[in-house]
Amino acid sequence: MSSRIVAAVEIGTDKVAVLAGEITRGRALNIIGVGLAPSRGVMKGEVVDYKAACEATHHALEMAEKRAGIRIEEVWLAQTGGHLDAFLNEASVNVKSADNTVTALDIASVCELAKEKELPAGRSRIHEIRRPFRLDGRAVPAPEHLSGRRLEVGYWIVHGPESKISDNIHVVGGYHLEVRELVLASLATGSLLTSAEERAQGALVIDLGKGVTDYVLYRDGHVLVTGTLPVAGDHLTNDLSLGLRVTLAQAEQLKLRHARATAVTRDRADKVWLNGDASFGDRQLPRMAIEAITAARVQELLEVIRAKLGPAFVPEHCGAGVFLAGGTAKLPGIEEAATRVFGLPARRGVPPGWVKDELQDPMFSTVLGVFQFGLRTAHEHAVPPRRKTGLLSNLTRIFAAT
Amino acid sequence: MNPATDHIPEAPGRSWRQIRQEVKPVAMSRLGRRRRLAGWARAAALTVTIAGAGWGLYTVAHSWSTNRSELATAMHSELVREIRLSNPHGVLTREWAAQVLALPRTASLLALDLPALRDRLLAHGQVQAAVLAREFPGTLAITLQERAPVARVQADDGQGQPRQLLVANDGVVYEGLNYDKAMLAGLPWLDGVRLVKSGRGFAPITGMAEVSALLSTAQLQAPHLYREWLVVSLARLAERDEIIVKSQEVPEIVFSRKRDYFKQLAQLDYIVDAARGLAAAPPLQSVNLSFEGQVPVRLLADPAGPPAASRSFSLQLSQRKKPREL
Repeated sequence: MSSRIVAAVEIGTDKVAVLAGEITRGRALNIIGVGLAPSRGVMKGEVVDYKAACEATHHALEMAEKRAGIRIEEVWLAQTGGHLDAFLNEASVNVKSADNTVTALDIASVCELAKEKELPAGRSRIHEIRRPFRLDGRAVPAPEHLSGRRLEVGYWIVHGPESKISDNIHVVGGYHLEVRELVLASLATGSLLTSAEERAQGALVIDLGKGVTDYVLYRDGHVLVTGTLPVAGDHLTNDLSLGLRVTLAQAEQLKLRHARATAVTRDRADKVWLNGDASFGDRQLPRMAIEAITAARVQELLEVIRAKLGPAFVPEHCGAGVFLAGGTAKLPGIEEAATRVFGLPARRGVPPGWVKDELQDPMFSTVLGVFQFGLRTAHEHAVPPRRKTGLLSNLTRIFAAT
Repeated sequence: MNPATDHIPEAPGRSWRQIRQEVKPVAMSRLGRRRRLAGWARAAALTVTIAGAGWGLYTVAHSWSTNRSELATAMHSELVREIRLSNPHGVLTREWAAQVLALPRTASLLALDLPALRDRLLAHGQVQAAVLAREFPGTLAITLQERAPVARVQADDGQGQPRQLLVANDGVVYEGLNYDKAMLAGLPWLDGVRLVKSGRGFAPITGMAEVSALLSTAQLQAPHLYREWLVVSLARLAERDEIIVKSQEVPEIVFSRKRDYFKQLAQLDYIVDAARGLAAAPPLQSVNLSFEGQVPVRLLADPAGPPAASRSFSLQLSQRKKPREL
């Protein structure tokens, strides 16, 4: 029985999370070790201090190895950051055969064309996510052997600056490990928190982290749009710090204790203590002001996401609603805020039942999703394989042609 | 895992997979360097293990092909405590085998060179086949198959003294051991053969297969005739395909190897019976069974009677004795 030890790694702005898993027969996953360390040297998903990022990441990797009692062999790395970008590239071909039957050659040709788009200098592809094929305008999951005149396909190509991607990879390389897969964080989270049925119905998954916000929109079971915003929980903290004239640490504590995504307090006299420890310099702040600041920022953030989604977001095609994940999604009232912005029911994403209790915390959603996405997508999104042409099939083709 | 790159050629433009992943040692953390060293150590240990295993295999194979006893003594082995002989149809004993093998007391079972020991047993012509096997912990098992003697032959022992040797059906001449003397006395002597020295013994006698067939047929089908046979001569076998037998009653019986021995023996039996039945007839001088259709018989010459030629008679086909009556 062939098995390999793989680590899913997320180098986030807030923390570095590592899960060591044993993958058996390429499909079955068994989580055997967890490593967690406060992140350092990372801002908005980008490595800004290599040594500090290495120390934090390697500490988490070592912790996972020690807890699992094994040696990690390879790494699947979650990739996020405001530097990532994506675009849709579509292509179409006329079906070649005289009887208008789509062949594997037609499929390969249209896929190649759709991926041919050149990238700007210094940028690397991270994902090429295929959208459903369209045959004469109708969506078909597998067009081979179907009849039609025109075959179309679109690829959602995610790319980023090579230098910043390589920084993340080199942080893992500094631990003498190889990155075998790079998974977009939003895809990982979306893959974990939504079921196949929900993706088929249409779903929007928003991962509100500390430094960045990742989102992915599914329609008809396929990824329609992905994106990353360099705005997240840190901005709430920063706004509170500026608006209330407190330090960042104090603002962070205020956010965690009293912030809300929707303002509900109407009483101006309702006040909260800044530190709450009756120490020198401790003072009272209006709760309404805290809520107003964070609610305004959250609403702005969600509206930016909606604007980024553009015409791709159609509430009627998003039947499963909005799923919220990440540390900032713990803010009270965030579902209400999301519902208000998107006009859809919103809820916090819950990991599936197979995830153990100790890994149910949203901080593990992305790393768990990396495993989930990695094990699932190879079978779900793959283009149908070209059949080998043997002697018999060649003869059949000759006779059919005559 | 990339969804679209499994079966489609890589798209133009750089993929993240083309990013160089190696990190210079200075850019590695202490943990990374330790891990790298551990990886190298493991690789080195694996290389040494594989090389050692390869060298070991080579050494064993080399020793096996060049010096097996050295290989055997290199291993821990029990001494040979017992020699077990299986010889259900023969007369050679375990003591004889032990004497021939002459194993030293300190010989270990693994150190035995079984092919050499087998050759030592096969050097005795009486042994037709020998199988030696180790039975751990300390038993050497021998299975023998012996030759059966069909005739005797007189040979010079090199010092001018005659000695009796035995001849098996495959022509091998050997010195029989442990045979019953009465059985040996019943074997006819072989004549008309020239023993050719070969090594420490004699080369196998050619034509013994036919003689053996005749003798075994006679022994089985006409034991009363066979008992009286004294000498079997192969002098005319090569030239005229004839085997001459001298019996107590008939000085010369000529058999042909081209004819069925059973028929010839039936005719002989009839003739001997017929000759006995002739009143006042002289004894038989010779019976020639080599002709198809008739059997010339010569009676012993009587000084007072007519010439020998006129005293011959032939056996007609109709006078043959039926085989079942033998």
